[in-house]
Amino acid sequence: MRELVLIQPGRLLAGASERGNESSHADREFEERLAECGPLAFRVAYGVLRHAADAEDVAQEALLKAYRNFARLREPARFRGWLVRIAFRMALDRWRSVKRREKRETTGEQLEHGAAGPSVEELAASSEFQARLERAMEELPEKFRLVVLLAGIQGYTREEVSGMLGIPMGTVKSRLFFARKKLAEKLR
Amino acid sequence: MSCEGYRDRLIDGLASGESSLDGDVAEHLRTCAECKRFYEAQMHLFGAIDAGVRTMVNEAVPASLLPGVRRLVGAAGVPGRSWGFAWGFAAVGVAAMAVIGVGLLRRSPENAGGVTAKVPAFTQGVGEAARGAPVQSQVTAAAPKFHTTKVKNVTPPKDGEARPEVLVLAEERAAFVRFVTDLPEERDVAVALTRPATDGKDEAVEIALLQIDELNVKPLESSNQ
Repeated sequence: MRELVLIQPGRLLAGASERGNESSHADREFEERLAECGPLAFRVAYGVLRHAADAEDVAQEALLKAYRNFARLREPARFRGWLVRIAFRMALDRWRSVKRREKRETTGEQLEHGAAGPSVEELAASSEFQARLERAMEELPEKFRLVVLLAGIQGYTREEVSGMLGIPMGTVKSRLFFARKKLAEKLR
Repeated sequence: MSCEGYRDRLIDGLASGESSLDGDVAEHLRTCAECKRFYEAQMHLFGAIDAGVRTMVNEAVPASLLPGVRRLVGAAGVPGRSWGFAWGFAAVGVAAMAVIGVGLLRRSPENAGGVTAKVPAFTQGVGEAARGAPVQSQVTAAAPKFHTTKVKNVTPPKDGEARPEVLVLAEERAAFVRFVTDLPEERDVAVALTRPATDGKDEAVEIALLQIDELNVKPLESSNQ
């Protein structure tokens, strides 16, 4: 027995064309977001991990997640905020697993808490100070840490951080204030 | 206010990023060398924190970041359709199971017997034929195969639009669909092939008369030369 089926090629063509147009349009939009926000995702991840290869992995995974959810993230501000949060969260997860592994492998060498050097340049250049700063950052509550990292990224103002995270400007300022004060206490 | 109180205010001002000092605090710093030293040390510390954070987050972005994402995205497929695809595959699987099930039911022995019973399949053995006594043979003749044609989905278009319809063999459906949809570079051809007929409304094509400017006539060569 041979079966015949009825096909409407015009409808097939129209459907395929619409799907193709929609898909290529979404791809173009995603490419724009990728170029704009890819470095941001990397920097947020690097701020947590301080390891370029790990940060790149995390940023790529976060961007792939963003791609999979692109249907509801097409608005640029929404996309950026979502990406920053997901990259931060994934980087923290990666950092915790790295720390657990390190804890198993090493004896947990303690860094000495010396006095700060005399100038900004010398202090920043000092790897000891940097290590202490990183340790102090790790101890900050997550919401404060994220604001400090974003505010530190070149080209992002406090207003932009506020828009990115969807929180009022006053909240950004108060979180920065609290975080900087805590950091100074730990590093003094 | 004590020096401790001024120092707290100095730290708050630095933590909030204020660049200017309140009048009374500035006045105190002019008179208290100890607090002035403290203030300068704290300025250095906050400056170092800011510089350290900037170092932490402004690492050069590796060139392989975006190509890596594009590669992952290429492998991932169409955005936002991962579940759609999964459901699509599930639906196709269920449909395939249903078709196979129906096919097996139709090929079951009861159904097969039902078919042969309806077919006149009597033959005469040689001996019985000689005796002139027709007896039903023990051998069931193979039932003649009737090639029935089953047409599916012949409902007219709902929107009343005159869309061309093509009947194809079921096993050739996928190939036809691929031909129509998956050849974007030949899309014009596909559209031309599947466009509805215009019912003879096309204008007649005019063909210009052949014009011969110069005619050179030569005699044919004779065959006996």
